[in-house]
Amino acid sequence: MTFPSRDAIEVEALRTDRYLEALLGGVPTAIDAGTTDGGVAVAAAHLTSGLVRVHPSFRFEDRLASRLADLAAAMRLPVAAGGEGAVAPSILPFPLDPEVDPADPSPAADGPVEPRRRPVLIGGAVASAALSIAGAAYVAWRLGRPPADPMARAVRTVHQQRAGRPSGRIV
Amino acid sequence: MARPVLRRASAAETTRSRIARLDADRALVEAARRDPERFDALYRKYVAQVYSYAYYELGDHHDAEDATERTFVSALIALPRFEERARPEDGTGASTFRIWLFRIARNVVANRRRDRRRHPVATLDALAGLADGVDVEARVSQRVEADAAWSAVARLPSDRRRAVILRFVDELSTAEIAEILGRSEGAVRVLIHRALRSVARDLGGGR
Repeated sequence: MTFPSRDAIEVEALRTDRYLEALLGGVPTAIDAGTTDGGVAVAAAHLTSGLVRVHPSFRFEDRLASRLADLAAAMRLPVAAGGEGAVAPSILPFPLDPEVDPADPSPAADGPVEPRRRPVLIGGAVASAALSIAGAAYVAWRLGRPPADPMARAVRTVHQQRAGRPSGRIV
Repeated sequence: MARPVLRRASAAETTRSRIARLDADRALVEAARRDPERFDALYRKYVAQVYSYAYYELGDHHDAEDATERTFVSALIALPRFEERARPEDGTGASTFRIWLFRIARNVVANRRRDRRRHPVATLDALAGLADGVDVEARVSQRVEADAAWSAVARLPSDRRRAVILRFVDELSTAEIAEILGRSEGAVRVLIHRALRSVARDLGGGR
Protein backbone atom coordinates (compact mmCIF):
# COMPACT_ATOMS: atom_id res chain seq x y z
CA MET A 1 0.00 0.00 0.00
CA THR A 2 1.34 3.42 -0.88
CA PHE A 3 1.43 6.29 1.58
CA PRO A 4 -1.19 8.41 -0.21
CA SER A 5 -3.71 5.53 -0.18
CA ARG A 6 -2.99 4.88 3.48
CA ASP A 7 -3.59 8.54 4.25
CA ALA A 8 -6.81 8.40 2.24
CA ILE A 9 -8.20 5.46 4.17
CA GLU A 10 -7.27 7.11 7.46
CA VAL A 11 -9.19 10.20 6.43
CA GLU A 12 -12.17 8.07 5.42
CA ALA A 13 -11.91 6.17 8.71
CA LEU A 14 -11.93 9.45 10.61
CA ARG A 15 -15.07 10.56 8.75
CA THR A 16 -16.72 7.24 9.49
CA ASP A 17 -15.81 7.60 13.14
CA ARG A 18 -17.45 11.01 13.32
CA TYR A 19 -20.50 9.66 11.56
CA LEU A 20 -20.72 6.80 14.07
CA GLU A 21 -20.36 9.24 16.97
CA ALA A 22 -23.42 11.05 15.68
CA LEU A 23 -25.34 7.88 14.88
CA LEU A 24 -24.70 6.13 18.20
CA GLY A 25 -25.06 9.35 20.13
CA GLY A 26 -28.69 9.60 19.05
CA VAL A 27 -28.19 12.59 16.79
CA PRO A 28 -30.73 12.59 13.91
CA THR A 29 -29.24 10.46 11.18
CA ALA A 30 -30.07 12.88 8.38
CA ILE A 31 -26.43 13.64 8.26
CA ASP A 32 -24.80 15.15 5.25
CA ALA A 33 -24.41 12.35 2.71
CA GLY A 34 -20.93 13.58 1.97
CA THR A 35 -19.80 12.87 5.53
CA THR A 36 -19.17 9.26 4.77
CA ASP A 37 -19.49 6.67 2.08
CA GLY A 38 -23.12 5.72 1.34
CA GLY A 39 -22.50 1.99 1.65
CA VAL A 40 -20.72 2.47 4.95
CA ALA A 41 -23.64 4.54 6.25
CA VAL A 42 -26.12 1.80 5.27
CA ALA A 43 -23.94 -0.87 6.90
CA ALA A 44 -23.63 1.23 10.05
CA ALA A 45 -27.40 1.70 10.22
CA HIS A 46 -27.87 -2.03 9.68
CA LEU A 47 -25.49 -2.96 12.49
CA THR A 48 -26.92 -0.32 14.82
CA SER A 49 -30.40 -1.82 14.55
CA GLY A 50 -29.28 -5.44 14.30
CA LEU A 51 -26.58 -5.69 16.96
CA VAL A 52 -28.73 -5.19 20.02
CA ARG A 53 -27.34 -5.41 23.51
CA VAL A 54 -28.20 -8.72 25.17
CA HIS A 55 -29.07 -8.89 28.84
CA PRO A 56 -28.39 -12.08 30.73
CA SER A 57 -31.26 -13.83 32.48
CA PHE A 58 -32.20 -12.35 35.83
CA ARG A 59 -31.69 -15.75 37.40
CA PHE A 60 -28.09 -15.79 36.23
CA GLU A 61 -27.58 -12.15 37.24
CA ASP A 62 -28.83 -12.77 40.77
CA ARG A 63 -26.89 -16.01 41.15
CA LEU A 64 -23.65 -14.30 40.13
CA ALA A 65 -24.48 -11.34 42.39
CA SER A 66 -24.79 -13.65 45.38
CA ARG A 67 -21.54 -15.42 44.47
CA LEU A 68 -19.75 -12.08 44.27
CA ALA A 69 -21.29 -11.06 47.60
CA ASP A 70 -19.94 -14.23 49.22
CA LEU A 71 -16.53 -13.58 47.74
CA ALA A 72 -16.68 -9.96 48.89
CA ALA A 73 -17.57 -11.04 52.41
CA ALA A 74 -14.55 -13.32 52.45
CA MET A 75 -12.37 -10.43 51.26
CA ARG A 76 -13.57 -8.05 53.94
CA LEU A 77 -11.29 -9.44 56.63
CA PRO A 78 -8.01 -8.35 54.97
CA VAL A 79 -9.62 -5.05 54.08
CA ALA A 80 -10.55 -4.57 57.72
CA ALA A 81 -6.90 -4.32 58.72
CA GLY A 82 -7.50 -0.58 58.97
CA GLY A 83 -10.41 -1.18 61.30
CA GLU A 84 -13.22 -0.78 58.78
CA GLY A 85 -15.74 -3.43 57.99
CA ALA A 86 -14.47 -5.83 60.60
CA VAL A 87 -16.12 -9.20 60.67
CA ALA A 88 -15.83 -11.48 63.68
CA PRO A 89 -13.65 -14.40 62.67
CA SER A 90 -15.31 -17.76 62.90
CA ILE A 91 -13.89 -20.01 65.64
CA LEU A 92 -13.73 -23.68 64.99
CA PRO A 93 -14.20 -25.98 68.00
CA PHE A 94 -11.13 -27.82 69.13
CA PRO A 95 -11.27 -31.34 67.69
CA LEU A 96 -11.82 -33.47 70.78
CA ASP A 97 -12.20 -36.54 68.66
CA PRO A 98 -9.44 -37.19 66.13
CA GLU A 99 -12.02 -38.64 63.78
CA VAL A 100 -13.97 -35.38 63.72
CA ASP A 101 -13.19 -33.12 60.79
CA PRO A 102 -12.19 -29.70 62.14
CA ALA A 103 -13.45 -28.08 58.96
CA ASP A 104 -16.95 -29.27 59.71
CA PRO A 105 -18.69 -26.42 61.55
CA SER A 106 -21.10 -28.73 63.34
CA PRO A 107 -19.27 -31.89 64.33
CA ALA A 108 -21.95 -32.73 66.92
CA ALA A 109 -24.72 -32.65 64.39
CA ASP A 110 -24.73 -36.43 64.04
CA GLY A 111 -24.88 -37.06 67.78
CA PRO A 112 -23.05 -36.20 70.99
CA VAL A 113 -19.30 -36.53 70.81
CA GLU A 114 -17.83 -38.13 73.92
CA PRO A 115 -14.26 -37.27 74.67
CA ARG A 116 -12.27 -40.48 74.81
CA ARG A 117 -9.22 -38.87 76.32
CA ARG A 118 -8.17 -35.58 77.76
CA PRO A 119 -6.86 -33.08 75.30
CA VAL A 120 -3.23 -32.13 75.52
CA LEU A 121 -3.04 -28.39 75.25
CA ILE A 122 0.32 -26.78 74.82
CA GLY A 123 0.48 -23.32 76.22
CA GLY A 124 -3.03 -23.59 77.62
CA ALA A 125 -4.48 -23.52 81.14
CA VAL A 126 -3.38 -27.02 82.08
CA ALA A 127 0.23 -26.30 81.24
CA SER A 128 0.09 -23.09 83.28
CA ALA A 129 -1.18 -24.93 86.36
CA ALA A 130 1.54 -27.56 86.02
CA LEU A 131 4.20 -24.88 85.81
CA SER A 132 2.80 -23.19 88.93
CA ILE A 133 3.12 -26.41 90.98
CA ALA A 134 6.65 -26.95 89.75
CA GLY A 135 7.49 -23.34 90.57
CA ALA A 136 6.19 -23.64 94.16
CA ALA A 137 8.22 -26.84 94.71
CA TYR A 138 11.35 -25.11 93.39
CA VAL A 139 10.93 -22.12 95.72
CA ALA A 140 10.36 -24.44 98.75
CA TRP A 141 13.49 -26.37 97.88
CA ARG A 142 15.54 -23.18 97.52
CA LEU A 143 14.32 -21.85 100.90
CA GLY A 144 15.18 -25.09 102.70
CA ARG A 145 18.66 -25.19 101.26
CA PRO A 146 21.41 -23.04 102.87
CA PRO A 147 22.54 -20.46 100.39
CA ALA A 148 26.18 -20.47 99.35
CA ASP A 149 26.26 -16.78 98.45
CA PRO A 150 27.00 -14.45 101.46
CA MET A 151 24.71 -11.77 100.03
CA ALA A 152 21.88 -14.29 99.83
CA ARG A 153 22.52 -15.34 103.40
CA ALA A 154 22.33 -11.69 104.53
CA VAL A 155 19.06 -11.15 102.69
CA ARG A 156 17.52 -14.26 104.19
CA THR A 157 18.61 -13.24 107.72
CA VAL A 158 16.98 -9.81 107.35
CA HIS A 159 13.85 -11.43 105.99
CA GLN A 160 13.62 -13.85 108.93
CA GLN A 161 14.07 -10.97 111.45
CA ARG A 162 11.29 -8.99 109.78
CA ALA A 163 9.06 -12.04 109.72
CA GLY A 164 9.47 -12.38 113.53
CA ARG A 165 8.15 -8.86 114.21
CA PRO A 166 4.46 -8.24 114.91
CA SER A 167 2.75 -6.73 111.94
CA GLY A 168 0.57 -3.60 112.07
CA ARG A 169 0.97 -0.21 113.63
CA ILE A 170 1.18 0.28 117.45
CA VAL A 171 -1.02 3.15 118.50
CA MET B 1 4.20 21.22 68.74
CA ALA B 2 5.37 19.98 65.37
CA ARG B 3 4.77 22.44 62.56
CA PRO B 4 2.75 21.25 59.63
CA VAL B 5 4.91 20.66 56.61
CA LEU B 6 3.70 22.73 53.70
CA ARG B 7 4.92 21.81 50.30
CA ARG B 8 3.92 22.39 46.75
CA ALA B 9 2.13 19.49 45.13
CA SER B 10 4.30 17.79 42.57
CA ALA B 11 3.35 17.80 38.92
CA ALA B 12 2.64 14.07 39.12
CA GLU B 13 0.19 14.60 42.00
CA THR B 14 -1.59 17.40 40.18
CA THR B 15 -1.91 15.28 37.09
CA ARG B 16 -3.12 12.33 39.13
CA SER B 17 -5.85 14.40 40.76
CA ARG B 18 -6.98 15.72 37.38
CA ILE B 19 -6.95 12.21 35.96
CA ALA B 20 -8.88 10.84 38.91
CA ARG B 21 -11.79 13.18 38.26
CA LEU B 22 -12.07 11.84 34.74
CA ASP B 23 -13.05 8.36 35.78
CA ALA B 24 -16.82 8.28 35.78
CA ASP B 25 -16.78 5.25 38.08
CA ARG B 26 -14.30 6.60 40.60
CA ALA B 27 -16.78 6.90 43.47
CA LEU B 28 -18.08 3.39 42.91
CA VAL B 29 -14.58 1.96 42.62
CA GLU B 30 -13.43 3.70 45.81
CA ALA B 31 -16.48 2.44 47.67
CA ALA B 32 -15.82 -1.11 46.45
CA ARG B 33 -12.20 -0.86 47.53
CA ARG B 34 -13.21 0.19 51.03
CA ASP B 35 -15.89 -2.46 51.25
CA PRO B 36 -15.80 -5.25 48.62
CA GLU B 37 -19.52 -5.84 49.11
CA ARG B 38 -20.10 -2.48 47.41
CA PHE B 39 -18.74 -4.02 44.21
CA ASP B 40 -22.33 -4.98 43.50
CA ALA B 41 -23.04 -1.50 42.11
CA LEU B 42 -20.27 -1.85 39.51
CA TYR B 43 -21.43 -5.36 38.72
CA ARG B 44 -25.03 -4.28 38.13
CA LYS B 45 -23.88 -1.36 36.00
CA TYR B 46 -21.75 -3.42 33.63
CA VAL B 47 -23.13 -6.95 33.69
CA ALA B 48 -25.22 -6.49 30.54
CA GLN B 49 -22.35 -4.90 28.62
CA VAL B 50 -19.87 -7.60 29.55
CA TYR B 51 -22.41 -10.33 28.90
CA SER B 52 -23.29 -8.86 25.50
CA TYR B 53 -19.66 -8.66 24.52
CA ALA B 54 -19.08 -12.27 25.55
CA TYR B 55 -22.29 -13.39 23.88
CA TYR B 56 -21.47 -11.85 20.53
CA GLU B 57 -17.90 -13.07 20.70
CA LEU B 58 -18.73 -16.62 21.74
CA GLY B 59 -22.17 -17.02 20.17
CA ASP B 60 -23.41 -19.20 22.97
CA HIS B 61 -25.54 -18.38 25.97
CA HIS B 62 -23.81 -20.70 28.45
CA ASP B 63 -20.32 -19.74 27.35
CA ALA B 64 -21.25 -16.08 27.68
CA GLU B 65 -22.52 -16.65 31.22
CA ASP B 66 -19.34 -18.49 32.12
CA ALA B 67 -17.16 -15.74 30.65
CA THR B 68 -19.20 -13.06 32.44
CA GLU B 69 -18.83 -14.86 35.74
CA ARG B 70 -15.08 -15.29 35.32
CA THR B 71 -14.69 -11.65 34.33
CA PHE B 72 -16.45 -10.23 37.39
CA VAL B 73 -14.86 -12.66 39.84
CA SER B 74 -11.42 -11.77 38.45
CA ALA B 75 -12.25 -8.07 38.61
CA LEU B 76 -13.38 -8.26 42.22
CA ILE B 77 -10.27 -10.15 43.29
CA ALA B 78 -7.96 -7.82 41.36
CA LEU B 79 -9.73 -4.57 42.30
CA PRO B 80 -7.10 -3.58 44.92
CA ARG B 81 -4.52 -3.59 42.12
CA PHE B 82 -6.62 -1.50 39.71
CA GLU B 83 -5.05 1.85 38.78
CA GLU B 84 -6.80 4.82 37.24
CA ARG B 85 -5.02 5.77 34.07
CA ALA B 86 -7.51 7.86 32.12
CA ARG B 87 -5.99 10.57 29.97
CA PRO B 88 -7.43 14.07 29.60
CA GLU B 89 -8.15 13.40 25.92
CA ASP B 90 -10.35 10.45 26.87
CA GLY B 91 -13.04 12.96 27.80
CA THR B 92 -15.13 13.56 30.88
CA GLY B 93 -17.25 10.45 30.43
CA ALA B 94 -14.31 8.10 30.12
CA SER B 95 -14.08 5.35 32.64
CA THR B 96 -10.80 3.59 33.12
CA PHE B 97 -12.56 0.99 35.23
CA ARG B 98 -14.68 0.07 32.22
CA ILE B 99 -11.59 -0.23 30.03
CA TRP B 100 -9.91 -2.38 32.67
CA LEU B 101 -13.02 -4.56 33.02
CA PHE B 102 -13.27 -5.10 29.27
CA ARG B 103 -9.60 -5.99 29.10
CA ILE B 104 -10.31 -8.74 31.59
CA ALA B 105 -13.35 -9.78 29.56
CA ARG B 106 -11.31 -9.80 26.36
CA ASN B 107 -8.74 -12.14 27.95
CA VAL B 108 -11.42 -14.40 29.38
CA VAL B 109 -13.20 -14.62 26.02
CA ALA B 110 -9.92 -15.25 24.20
CA ASN B 111 -9.11 -18.11 26.57
CA ARG B 112 -12.57 -19.54 26.10
CA ARG B 113 -12.27 -19.40 22.33
CA ARG B 114 -8.89 -21.07 22.53
CA ASP B 115 -10.32 -23.84 24.69
CA ARG B 116 -13.06 -24.70 22.27
CA ARG B 117 -11.19 -24.11 19.02
CA ARG B 118 -12.07 -27.59 17.87
CA HIS B 119 -15.80 -26.96 18.26
CA PRO B 120 -17.86 -24.93 15.80
CA VAL B 121 -19.29 -21.60 16.96
CA ALA B 122 -22.99 -21.85 17.65
CA THR B 123 -25.49 -19.43 16.16
CA LEU B 124 -27.14 -16.77 18.24
CA ASP B 125 -30.35 -18.69 18.82
CA ALA B 126 -31.21 -16.78 21.94
CA LEU B 127 -31.77 -13.67 19.87
CA ALA B 128 -35.20 -15.15 19.13
CA GLY B 129 -36.25 -14.09 22.61
CA LEU B 130 -35.08 -10.51 22.35
CA ALA B 131 -38.18 -8.89 20.92
CA ASP B 132 -40.75 -9.14 23.65
CA GLY B 133 -43.55 -7.34 21.89
CA VAL B 134 -46.74 -9.04 20.83
CA ASP B 135 -46.32 -7.99 17.22
CA VAL B 136 -45.19 -11.24 15.65
CA GLU B 137 -44.35 -9.59 12.35
CA ALA B 138 -42.12 -7.05 14.05
CA ARG B 139 -40.57 -9.80 16.10
CA VAL B 140 -39.75 -11.88 13.06
CA SER B 141 -38.44 -8.81 11.29
CA GLN B 142 -36.17 -8.00 14.22
CA ARG B 143 -34.98 -11.59 14.35
CA VAL B 144 -34.16 -11.54 10.65
CA GLU B 145 -32.37 -8.22 11.05
CA ALA B 146 -30.37 -9.48 14.02
CA ASP B 147 -29.46 -12.70 12.25
CA ALA B 148 -28.34 -10.81 9.16
CA ALA B 149 -26.26 -8.41 11.25
CA TRP B 150 -24.66 -11.24 13.18
CA SER B 151 -23.96 -13.20 10.00
CA ALA B 152 -22.23 -10.18 8.51
CA VAL B 153 -20.19 -9.61 11.64
CA ALA B 154 -19.32 -13.28 12.09
CA ARG B 155 -17.63 -13.30 8.69
CA LEU B 156 -15.25 -10.52 9.69
CA PRO B 157 -11.69 -11.21 10.80
CA SER B 158 -11.48 -11.47 14.59
CA ASP B 159 -9.87 -8.08 15.22
CA ARG B 160 -12.47 -6.24 13.12
CA ARG B 161 -15.32 -8.24 14.65
CA ARG B 162 -14.13 -7.45 18.17
CA ALA B 163 -13.87 -3.73 17.39
CA VAL B 164 -17.35 -3.68 15.81
CA ILE B 165 -18.94 -5.45 18.77
CA LEU B 166 -17.33 -3.05 21.24
CA ARG B 167 -18.42 -0.07 19.12
CA PHE B 168 -21.97 -1.07 18.20
CA VAL B 169 -23.09 -3.37 21.01
CA ASP B 170 -21.26 -1.87 23.96
CA GLU B 171 -21.14 1.62 22.46
CA LEU B 172 -17.61 2.29 23.65
CA SER B 173 -15.64 5.19 22.25
CA THR B 174 -12.79 4.69 19.82
CA ALA B 175 -10.34 5.72 22.54
CA GLU B 176 -11.71 3.11 24.93
CA ILE B 177 -11.62 0.37 22.29
CA ALA B 178 -8.03 1.31 21.48
CA GLU B 179 -7.10 0.89 25.15
CA ILE B 180 -8.90 -2.44 25.39
CA LEU B 181 -7.41 -3.89 22.22
CA GLY B 182 -3.98 -2.38 22.80
CA ARG B 183 -3.94 -0.46 19.50
CA SER B 184 -3.80 3.16 18.49
CA GLU B 185 -7.03 5.09 17.97
CA GLY B 186 -6.20 5.50 14.29
CA ALA B 187 -5.80 1.74 13.90
CA VAL B 188 -9.16 1.14 15.58
CA ARG B 189 -10.86 3.70 13.31
CA VAL B 190 -9.43 1.94 10.26
CA LEU B 191 -10.49 -1.47 11.61
CA ILE B 192 -14.08 -0.33 12.05
CA HIS B 193 -14.15 1.49 8.72
CA ARG B 194 -12.92 -1.59 6.88
CA ALA B 195 -15.37 -3.77 8.77
CA LEU B 196 -18.24 -1.53 7.69
CA ARG B 197 -17.09 -1.67 4.08
CA SER B 198 -17.03 -5.48 4.27
CA VAL B 199 -20.53 -5.52 5.73
CA ALA B 200 -21.68 -3.09 3.02
CA ARG B 201 -20.28 -5.43 0.36
CA ASP B 202 -22.06 -8.37 2.01
CA LEU B 203 -25.34 -6.50 2.09
CA GLY B 204 -24.93 -5.42 -1.53
CA GLY B 205 -24.10 -8.97 -2.60
CA GLY B 206 -27.04 -10.41 -0.76
CA ARG B 207 -29.54 -8.27 -2.52
